[in-house]
Amino acid sequence: MIPILITIAAVYLGALVTFSLITRQKNKDSVSYFLAGSKLGSVLGIFTLAATLFSTFTMIGMPDFFRTHGVGSWLFLAFSDAAMVFAIISVGYYLRKKAKRENFKGLSGLMVQCYKNKSAGYITFVGAFIFLVPYVAIQIRGIAIFLKATFPEALPIWGWATIIIVIMLIYSEVGGLKAIIYSDMLQGLILLLIICIIAYNCVAEFGNLANLFAKVEQVNEKLLSVPGPKGLFTPQFLIASFVAIVMIPFTQPQVVTRIIIMKNHRSLFRMAIGLGVFALIIIFATLCIGMYGAVKYPDLSTADFISQALIADQSNLVAAFAILGLVAAAISTSDSQIFALGGELRSLLTGEDRKMLKITRIAIVFFAIVVFIFSLLTSDELVMLARTSFAGTALMAPMIFTAIFSERKLKMYIPICTAIAMLLFIGSMLEVVPNTILGLRMDLLLIIVLTLISLLLNYFGHQKKSVNPIG
Amino acid sequence: MKIKKKTLWLLCCISASIIVILGFTVLAIPANTFEPQLFGLPYALWVSILLSVLLVVLTILGTLVHPGNRQTEEE
Repeated sequence: MIPILITIAAVYLGALVTFSLITRQKNKDSVSYFLAGSKLGSVLGIFTLAATLFSTFTMIGMPDFFRTHGVGSWLFLAFSDAAMVFAIISVGYYLRKKAKRENFKGLSGLMVQCYKNKSAGYITFVGAFIFLVPYVAIQIRGIAIFLKATFPEALPIWGWATIIIVIMLIYSEVGGLKAIIYSDMLQGLILLLIICIIAYNCVAEFGNLANLFAKVEQVNEKLLSVPGPKGLFTPQFLIASFVAIVMIPFTQPQVVTRIIIMKNHRSLFRMAIGLGVFALIIIFATLCIGMYGAVKYPDLSTADFISQALIADQSNLVAAFAILGLVAAAISTSDSQIFALGGELRSLLTGEDRKMLKITRIAIVFFAIVVFIFSLLTSDELVMLARTSFAGTALMAPMIFTAIFSERKLKMYIPICTAIAMLLFIGSMLEVVPNTILGLRMDLLLIIVLTLISLLLNYFGHQKKSVNPIG
Repeated sequence: MKIKKKTLWLLCCISASIIVILGFTVLAIPANTFEPQLFGLPYALWVSILLSVLLVVLTILGTLVHPGNRQTEEE
């Protein structure tokens, strides 16, 4: 397997270098560097968004989640993703209109424009930073742990993490968002093909899906229903997760940017459809791998199970592509998020473009270092940490939705409430604040309260503008 | 024509909302039950797959009647 892996890894790295060099010449200002010229077609849109959304969390986390918690994982992620693509066509259209009107440079910058106050932008930026850094860190950690389990003698976890971050930084710093988008296309394709082949092999081992599920029933029939063997999938958990996931396209800057830079509304719509199909295929594949693991490796650790199912049980060629696919998945999500943080910072800076671009590029390196440190400290629960990240950024949804839809002069009440909600959420994770109040989970309670406050303030707390801003 | 499209879009939104609500009721995910199965798939799984596919189909239909689907030329 090693010679095959070295060969395809060399081809892959060559492709990344080519993308960076091709796009390097065109990145002369912030708009081309951070927004890739804002003319993204639907096919590139599907793959860049898919590669950004479906990452180590999907390839490693979801098979393990299915193996541990059972079929309720489908409702947790796939159902939420299907609703998310409907939300993209519903709300994305208005988001794009607003962004175009306000000369979009980043989500934080958009909030400054809408709320006419820099603090709204800082709250958005800090919120994105706090909740995206752990998410990026778990991508890096997930893949580093997996590589360590697969090649125990080669490098320590921090060594793998360093290599991934250095590769990611070089090509995204040089090529900007365009290089990231092209590499996302490549990574998305590898991810889709490999995970489907592995899922097919897992099912083929049992003959067909019905046999696989019959075996799962013998091993642990609680995996076949909710709330699952560990009782995780309660209605509250599922609803709170659903809200957090559906809000991703409007609250996570790397996704918001991709929605806005689509060539036109029609490209956006096609991209949403493609993304929905992509999501269902990928998650179905992780379901098959997870159920296979539930039967064959119920007691292994996450890293050992993934190493067995994705590498040891596959042919050399598939195993080599799986390793590359996993590394590519981690890189594609992490680079998008770190780069998006850079874009957010740029949208808050004012001054000569070249100088600001330089500052932002240095900041991207700083973000990468923070992610690296966090990746060495964070826990191994990929899916739960990712969910926390989604729930954290989802708290910004009422503030962002008000900015998109309100026709009134907006005051700072909603951004301030959002900041308080984020602090309370962090407090609940650190167990300084209770996790549940009146029987409601803190994340669900906060999003409900913020939504109500936003609706009330929109009708009673803000003056009407003289001109309709949405048009 | 415009009014008809608006109505159809509204219908898509209402249908999507109903599907989402259905997804979290005991109808879709009854606790600790995996019967009746379909092609060997447990109940909660095949129902939630069906609902997910319906949501994607609604997205496809939604793009055809969405108020913004004729605005490409303006951009």
